[in-house]
Amino acid sequence: MWKTIERIGLILLNALFIVICFAVLVPILYAFSVSLNASNSILGSDFSFIPKQFTLANYRAVIMDHPVLLWFGNTLILAVSSVVISLFAAIPAAYSLSRFHFKGRIKILNAMTLLYSFPAILSMFAIYKLLSPMGLINTKLGLVVVYIGTMAVFGALNLKGYFDSVPAEIEEAANIDGANAWQTVAQILLPLAKPAVIVTGVMVLIYVWNEYIYAITFMTGSSNYTLAAGLYSLQATEMSGSWPVFAAASIIVSVPVLVIFFLTQKHMTSGLTAGGVKG
Amino acid sequence: MKNGKRKYHNTLRSWLCLSPSLVIIGLIVVFPIVYTAYISLTNMNVYHWFNFEIIGLDNYAKALTVFDGGFLQALALTVLWTAVNMVFQLVIAFFMASLLNIQKLRFRRVYKTVLMFPWAMPGYVSILLWKNGMFNSQFGLLNQWLGKIGLDPVRWLANDAVAFAACLVVNLWLALPFMIMIMDGAMQSVDRAYYESALLDGAGWFRRSVSLTIPAIRPIIAPAVVITLFTTFKQFDVIYLLTQQVGAKTGANIHTVLTYAYENAFVTSNYGYSSAISMCIFILLIAFTLIYNAKGGKRRVEND
Repeated sequence: MWKTIERIGLILLNALFIVICFAVLVPILYAFSVSLNASNSILGSDFSFIPKQFTLANYRAVIMDHPVLLWFGNTLILAVSSVVISLFAAIPAAYSLSRFHFKGRIKILNAMTLLYSFPAILSMFAIYKLLSPMGLINTKLGLVVVYIGTMAVFGALNLKGYFDSVPAEIEEAANIDGANAWQTVAQILLPLAKPAVIVTGVMVLIYVWNEYIYAITFMTGSSNYTLAAGLYSLQATEMSGSWPVFAAASIIVSVPVLVIFFLTQKHMTSGLTAGGVKG
Repeated sequence: MKNGKRKYHNTLRSWLCLSPSLVIIGLIVVFPIVYTAYISLTNMNVYHWFNFEIIGLDNYAKALTVFDGGFLQALALTVLWTAVNMVFQLVIAFFMASLLNIQKLRFRRVYKTVLMFPWAMPGYVSILLWKNGMFNSQFGLLNQWLGKIGLDPVRWLANDAVAFAACLVVNLWLALPFMIMIMDGAMQSVDRAYYESALLDGAGWFRRSVSLTIPAIRPIIAPAVVITLFTTFKQFDVIYLLTQQVGAKTGANIHTVLTYAYENAFVTSNYGYSSAISMCIFILLIAFTLIYNAKGGKRRVEND
């Protein structure tokens, strides 16, 4: 009797979860299905989640009719240079803040915590006004400058938080064995802090990949667009019917991020929570 | 003497290690904020792009005295937005995490992976998919469904209240996975033995939640809740992309403080006024951060 009630309860629970999971995925499933469907009657009410007539025409249209590969290239250049520069600046800074107890350390940490709460978008106009006379508006360099600035505080604080959780004794032992500071950091600390380094790098990468507001405000002309700015420009308006193509483009843009996210997911929680900051 | 020298060397090395990061932060983060503060004291706008002049605190006066359609209205809406979001997030995430933690649930991992999807998707893509796929009044899925049951299509993003609800739904969709994961992780760290003895005492789910689960997970989830509070207050993408896109406004006049500041800088080109708003928001955020840190510090001392 008790067993049967429990079993029915579990079946209901699983049913509930299946409904919830489906409901959560509806916007994505709908876009996915529309992007693969050949017979999109835009105003048709006979919509189904499984395409009735399968086609890749919408994906073809995205790649052939729009400079998506160029946008992809632009995004890749911006993302890689931002990640490299960010880590290059953040790792020594985090090491210094975590390991050296110098005068002014607390002040810098407090200042960084305050700056971390500052939304970059608030100084967007000032940055525009400053970059404009330098000729950096509408250039990739200008965007890289913005992106590394936006992620600088996050990178340093996040890594510092994780470095704090790595015991310094191991490095001290290596020091006694005659390893110099660079060797200690490169061969001992960084391998131990790998999850945080990966997560910090991935967060910068994903930030650049997903950033659209600077990319559309600072860049003019579609040849300079990133994927995000390009996708933004592809949006269907209330009246136009390019929604299936837009849906296909959305899927193309999302897949790399999804892959990276689920590959690094097991590091995500530990690499983010130790620093106490979320990107 | 030797000690003093070593200390000096260490200090030098500390600052050397910090310098690349500090240069970046100084030039790209701090200087633009200072410059924003300067612009906020001027009448810079489209007509005064170069020949602007200092007008003192006029922009601040305008920001802090005009309510209708002004900064204060946006601020009030932002506070409402944050409060409503946090209540829904905490309640829904708590129920979801509780359900995920029912002992005999076998496919927990599968469900969790699926529930992670909104978090993993690029945020702006999701928002644009919601806008174009779900809310579009012509071919959006919601209106297709309404049509099926014989109802008239709704212009989801045209009316203030409906658009606010739409933004709320999208924001919950985006933010809940993180909160569920945090609560789920916290619940797993609670010792199962407590539950077993509570069960023996005949405590029901509600009673166990109130007197066992919530007190146990509260300190663990507190940092994540505070972070979410800040990100919700600073939310820009959802409201901007759904309703306020430059050149494609949907008719709803809802603004959070951030979309309001952006609107005044890049749409109506009141640079001075927009900068004054930016500084007000920054000061508010600094105040919140300081209050939170002071409280956190006190709690840490108490725990010691």
